[in-house]
Amino acid sequence: MRIVLQILGILLLIPAIAYATLRFDNSSADGPSILFPGGKLVAGEMHTGPDPDWSFTDDVSTIELQLVDPESSRIIFIMESGGKVYIPSGYMRSTLGRIWKDWAFQADAGDGLAVARIDGKRYERQLIRIKEGPVLHGVAAKMASKYGGGATPEGIAASVQSFGDGNTWIFEMAPRGTTR
Amino acid sequence: MKTKTYLVVCVAVALAVSISILYIPGVSQYLEQTLLIFLSTNAR
Repeated sequence: MRIVLQILGILLLIPAIAYATLRFDNSSADGPSILFPGGKLVAGEMHTGPDPDWSFTDDVSTIELQLVDPESSRIIFIMESGGKVYIPSGYMRSTLGRIWKDWAFQADAGDGLAVARIDGKRYERQLIRIKEGPVLHGVAAKMASKYGGGATPEGIAASVQSFGDGNTWIFEMAPRGTTR
Repeated sequence: MKTKTYLVVCVAVALAVSISILYIPGVSQYLEQTLLIFLSTNAR
């Protein structure tokens, strides 16, 4: 019996060590992988000047987003609405979400400074959480049409409901220096 | 196995896994792809 438990322990140890090592290995990389957060976004031209026409992000399914503090990056959805760009963070009321989406809590509690890399180009931004207002309807419509299979009234209403009850947080990726 | 031997085996296995992932090219990509396939197949 003892040897069986010992073998079981080793079999559990291997994936646990592998997971921890993969996460550690990626933590200093230039950008995230699909599963693990990355480090500081380094490669890519830094955008300067006025904001671009963000409608080009309609053809971009995911972007890389890095907080300035802490310097960690992840892959995330992006929605353009009304000439501005927004990013979502879901599962925010679940226990798993509180662990998984720690970046959203950090962005909301901290200064919100971030760098986004979109199609290989970097943009310095400031994350501002949007909790209410008509802008959320436009964001919900874009989210439903881009990621939810279609901007049906039911899909939009479900997204608005998710925003309202705090299960999904929406951040505007505003220009640096925007008042929060 | 005696406890001391078991702990030595655990440390050796942990080191072998970590070093393989960190220093053998392709191992980390392979493991991550495998994990991703597993999650996309089972996370419903």
